Amino acid sequence: MRPEGRRTESSTGWFLPWAIPCLFISLWWAVTATGVMPAYLLPHPIDIAETGYVYIFGKPEGGLYGGRFVSDAGASLLRVGCGFSLAVAVGLPLGVLSGRLWFMRKLMSTSVNALRAVPGITWLPLALVWFGIGMKTTIFLVALAAFFPVYLNAAAGAGQVNPRLLQAGAMMGVRRLRGTFAILLPGAMSHLMAGLRLGLGISWAYLVLGELTGVHNGLGAVIMDARMLGRIDMIVVGIIVIAVIGRTSDHLLQAGMRCCFKSARRMI
Amino acid sequence: MNSHLKAVPRKQPHPKERVLRIDRLSKGFHTAAGYLPVLDGMSFQVEQGELIAILGRSGCGKSTLLKIVAGFISPGSGKVLLNERPVLGPGPDRCVIFQEDALFPWLTVGENITFGLKGKKISKKQKTAEMHRFLNLVGLSEFRDYLPRELSGGMKQRVALARVLILRPEVLLMDEPFGSLDAQSREEMQNLLLSLWKELSHTILFVTHDVNEAVVLADRILLMDKNPGRIREEVWVDLPRPRKRENSAFLNISKRLSRGLRI
Repeated sequence: MRPEGRRTESSTGWFLPWAIPCLFISLWWAVTATGVMPAYLLPHPIDIAETGYVYIFGKPEGGLYGGRFVSDAGASLLRVGCGFSLAVAVGLPLGVLSGRLWFMRKLMSTSVNALRAVPGITWLPLALVWFGIGMKTTIFLVALAAFFPVYLNAAAGAGQVNPRLLQAGAMMGVRRLRGTFAILLPGAMSHLMAGLRLGLGISWAYLVLGELTGVHNGLGAVIMDARMLGRIDMIVVGIIVIAVIGRTSDHLLQAGMRCCFKSARRMI
Repeated sequence: MNSHLKAVPRKQPHPKERVLRIDRLSKGFHTAAGYLPVLDGMSFQVEQGELIAILGRSGCGKSTLLKIVAGFISPGSGKVLLNERPVLGPGPDRCVIFQEDALFPWLTVGENITFGLKGKKISKKQKTAEMHRFLNLVGLSEFRDYLPRELSGGMKQRVALARVLILRPEVLLMDEPFGSLDAQSREEMQNLLLSLWKELSHTILFVTHDVNEAVVLADRILLMDKNPGRIREEVWVDLPRPRKRENSAFLNISKRLSRGLRI
């Protein structure tokens, strides 16, 4: 009954997102095959694929990294999940309140903007002292890093919601609580979404930082371990795995939001 | 469409029943340049089922007046009484049609129209029936599943009308609602408004700067002065509807009002 709102993609549209990765792999192939880059600096893509296969599926004779993927990825996902959820649980409500209430905005402004200027890595030594090596430190770093984009975008989004919409709601007899969920949050959805995506992206960055400090499992730990042992191939595999999981989680986040909220489905 | 019009219960107006009373209303704003009086001691009354146009140039305070009646801003002094009860805030007994579209962009036409019914104790079936009734009433039954961004300006204002009419407000407040439409759609909307008004016998306060629009629509026109805003003249339009713009009586009234606006 309703015409499709979005412009439909042409038949070749699906390929565009993969054009740059394909180009990149071809280039990689070329420089390693011709010997411009020696294997101890950058291994051949086929070797990487093999290492990756062994890392994910294991092999009969074992090996240092064989089959560790599931436990590493699981540990990392859990850490990112906890840290990011914590950031959203605190950042989203605080951000929305700051966007609507001037005293919240004033109250938060100095603290948020000062802390925002502190690079995340600066917290690492302190977090190690407080929480020790492992889970808690990583979650702390992830939550701290993801908080700022979530908070700032929620505040911006809640602040720019068209006041006419809120007036329209008030005149139709909508009270404050329902107005918040039925008008304010949907009206701010594009900003909320941007904040969540940025926050999730930065979560992966800080995950690796948190895992560099000597935990025994996790994707960051594998990369650090491989560096010590000079396993360049394993470092590259780790990078690719994080890229793939990061991209997938962003996809899932968007799909989940679209599934749950009309405003995400119809406006973004 | 006619059968649907009849399906809507009419309010039976008692003749000369007073709905709205504006009593010595004043309002000003503090600006960087000092205190700016916008409304100065405005008083008038509106009877049940009356269509009143408030005509004035931009900046004369007519929108401020409407916002006070709607309850979006508080009066500086004086009061607004709806059925002799003071207006304290916005509510579904006084619904506003805004100048620019204020539909919820993430809801379809149908969802926008039933938005105000949520939380009310009526069955889902009844809600759907109401939605269809009012979709038909504004001529948008084909467009139930469209999103606002897929509609033209005139269609958006039809949705805006339907979503407040469904709440059966005591008074309909219209703030230059057709100001941004092209000439054809504006005339169409004026005709639609008149037919809805005839069928539902609403009380309407219609703010406009367009002399012809005021004369086409209103029973009574309040011509407003600027700086500070007050009523300069009250003009009764006693022409039968539909009113023809070429009619000499029409032209006389609109000439007189235009002259009044220019002073």
